[in-house]
Amino acid sequence: MERVSTEQLRQLVEGDLSRDDARTLLKMNPKDPERFWTYLEVLQARVAWSDRILLRLSDHLYVVAKSTGGRVVKCDCGHELGDYRANWKTECKVRVRVTDAEFNEVYYPPALAPEPGYSEIREFFCPGCYTQLAVEAVPPGYPLIFEVLPDLDRFYRDFLGRPLADEDPGWYVDHTTAKAAEWLKEW
Amino acid sequence: MNERAEYPGQRPADPRSAPTLGQKIADRDRLTGETGHYYGVRELSLREQDPLTYERFYSRLQAACMAAREVARYVAASPGGREMGEAVWALATAEGDSLALSEGFVAHSAAFPVAIRFMSDHGYETNPGFADGDVYVSDDGPTCGAPHPGDTYTYVPIVHDGELIGWACAINHIMEVGAPQAGSWPMFAIDTYMDGFLVPPTRTGENLQQYAWWNELWKRRTRAGAMNILDDKMRLAGCAMILRAVHEIIAEFGRDYYVQATREVIEESRRVVMDNIRNWMVPGTYEQAAFRICKYKGLQKIWAHADKDNVIHVHLKASLDERGRFHCDMDGSSRWGFHAFNGYPGGTSVAQMMALAGALGYNTKFTSGGNLAVTKNAPYGSVFNPDTTIAAHTNAWAQMIQISVMSFQTLNRSMFLRGYLEESFAVSAPWDSVQGDGVLADGTPYGYTNFELLGACAHGAYAYRDGDPAVWFIASQLCNMGNSEEFEYLIPPLFHLGRKLEPGACGHGKYRGGIGLSTVHMVKQPGQRFSASRAGSACAFFTENAAGMFGGYPSPGAVTAVAQGTNLPALIAAGDTPRTLNEMVGYAQDGRLEAERLEVWKSDAPEHTLHENDLWAQIAGMGGGWGDPLERDPGLVLADLESGQVPEAFATRLHGVVIVHGDGPPQVDYEATAARRRQLRGQRRLQSIPVRGWWAMHRLRVLAKEAPEPIADMWRSATSFPDYARYYRDFWQLPETFRW
Repeated sequence: MERVSTEQLRQLVEGDLSRDDARTLLKMNPKDPERFWTYLEVLQARVAWSDRILLRLSDHLYVVAKSTGGRVVKCDCGHELGDYRANWKTECKVRVRVTDAEFNEVYYPPALAPEPGYSEIREFFCPGCYTQLAVEAVPPGYPLIFEVLPDLDRFYRDFLGRPLADEDPGWYVDHTTAKAAEWLKEW
Repeated sequence: MNERAEYPGQRPADPRSAPTLGQKIADRDRLTGETGHYYGVRELSLREQDPLTYERFYSRLQAACMAAREVARYVAASPGGREMGEAVWALATAEGDSLALSEGFVAHSAAFPVAIRFMSDHGYETNPGFADGDVYVSDDGPTCGAPHPGDTYTYVPIVHDGELIGWACAINHIMEVGAPQAGSWPMFAIDTYMDGFLVPPTRTGENLQQYAWWNELWKRRTRAGAMNILDDKMRLAGCAMILRAVHEIIAEFGRDYYVQATREVIEESRRVVMDNIRNWMVPGTYEQAAFRICKYKGLQKIWAHADKDNVIHVHLKASLDERGRFHCDMDGSSRWGFHAFNGYPGGTSVAQMMALAGALGYNTKFTSGGNLAVTKNAPYGSVFNPDTTIAAHTNAWAQMIQISVMSFQTLNRSMFLRGYLEESFAVSAPWDSVQGDGVLADGTPYGYTNFELLGACAHGAYAYRDGDPAVWFIASQLCNMGNSEEFEYLIPPLFHLGRKLEPGACGHGKYRGGIGLSTVHMVKQPGQRFSASRAGSACAFFTENAAGMFGGYPSPGAVTAVAQGTNLPALIAAGDTPRTLNEMVGYAQDGRLEAERLEVWKSDAPEHTLHENDLWAQIAGMGGGWGDPLERDPGLVLADLESGQVPEAFATRLHGVVIVHGDGPPQVDYEATAARRRQLRGQRRLQSIPVRGWWAMHRLRVLAKEAPEPIADMWRSATSFPDYARYYRDFWQLPETFRW
């Protein structure tokens, strides 16, 4: 079975893979089942910290296992965004675009910008490095979109065949609204 | 034939002992439900005992479907069917499960079992009965699973020795549906009685020939009778080829082999798709949303109950269920309403499979086995499952396409999580069309739809590179915008003044989406009357999808501009005419284009009566962006402005890139760019607040119900479903008594 090399995967992650090589990967059948482990190896080598990466969530975010226990979302800059069971956006900083002029800074031509009043554009930044981690374009009143709550225990046990040591049914429970309840007490 | 291996499950093909269709469907449901395997097929005995015969058998079925497509669309077809391949041919089991399909609209196979079950449940097997070569047609959502009445299905029973053994099926997207508003996807319909020419499964012919009255119905009840009859003949011609091929295949392989092998084929593909899900995805819960504007307020003065603007909330939580199937939960989506954008469950299944069919099943035989790997919850009463049969669904795709987009996005996000970055891209499909009707100078009436901005969308940005323009069609493997001339003869007064990429039209990010297309049509010799309206999916009123990918901006929706009473002859004489919508608007702003009226529609442009020298322009088919725009390679920014794909002022500001213009070609000033980017990150720090603070302030807006009425109405609709209402209250920590 074909296997993608660590170097090829590193190039893919960095955006340096040639079109031809990317096409070869697209045509792989079946996909290399070992890819995930090579991926983790490549990702771990790119970050300056040593927490074990359990899953990559986005270009810059990872779920990591803390040596002291717990699983948190961590930016590659090192900033931590809390327990992965609560939407990590709750730990971000947010800039909200609401006017036509603000929309026109990110959409062109102007006719393609969404309608002010009906839409607002929320840009979520890492409080550590101010990388733009996510964009939402939603009407007023919209809750934060929780892009993914992974079922890590099921993934590692049933899909990868390597169960995590700290398995617990509680790892696949959404904590976002519980965090909102805490906020209400603060305010 | 005698060399073929023995196989289990043989029984005599005695028509007197053949089970009824209802019994077959019940058996299929019971055995599949109890075992998780299609029809209870645990062992692929035929494949294991004699794989060559098994594969030869399947290749015969698949070849029959492909041949049907390649021949039938040249026998007779409208431009949509012939040029763009807006069609598919298939062979299904007696129960309606597809076991082989041509290229094209393969996801529509999800509708087949709906129609077959409806006919069985309503006694069609005895009245009027199913004879070999009968012809049934339907285009109705509740009864045949059609996503919208423009999608018209033909079913031809295949009867062997008195037993219904399968169906030759075809579907194509017709160009005019005969609704009060002309075209293929009328944007205005308040109930199903404005859906157009709509029939539940109906026997329209026998012995592979349509009844004479059927053609007369097309002529009397639609505005493009000739085109629709051509499409009807196209579907039937392909079905006739499949019917003949199946009888030959049964003669060669035997009835019992045929039945057993078809079940194995479906079970085999189900297993491959299930394996793909397991090998490519990460279990979990993936949330996405989209919003669809429907502006009806003030549009008419007859139906007071439909005189309101609607915002349709499309909410999707995707997950893998306990069996590992891809599950889509649409709870929290809007209730159905008195507008054209409702869907029914069969159509919703088609929407789900539209993207997943190709993506999850590309390495196997595509059959209903793939559909068995996908499940859904479309709440009763919602825009995906109305608690009535009077809901209009003539433009269901305008919002249901978001189920396709978001299902595919879920898969792509999941593949990113697992490291299959080569497959990961921002999915988008904001397609567009112009539709309408007219009366030629000689009094000949006609209806039309131009599909060109439907079948050639841009690709969204990948995880590792920009998307490409005009390369994909979410509904089919066959991307095609059709020949300009085909549409020009179909729509006599409407000519292309321009058709090109619209600079900057995409979702931006570290990698940008493919640039969208723009067309400018001019009206020449409109005859006695000519009208046009917009039909399509996402409008620019909202972005196509609520969430961008990893810091990139979601694709914008499509936009239409109409200029009436223009000085077009003077522009033509000067050789200086606008080629895109943005150019047209710019020409109007700088005075080159003189127009008595210029409208820019971020919602559906309603029906306009157009006159000589009027202009109709659109932008559609953009791709979504990926990643933080400040991380874009400055070299790509430079390349974009040099190729004219993104304007310099916009790009340099968004990406924080400094371009130096000297005597030679423009160059990137990397040092100044780094400084500019540090400055922009600093602005982010100063202009942003912690989300917890934002939440507290926004919560007060929610409590004060600060939103335009259509948004408030959307919230009332979405929170009328108890589970979503609870989630919504919990997120904002609202009192139990709170109501929008």
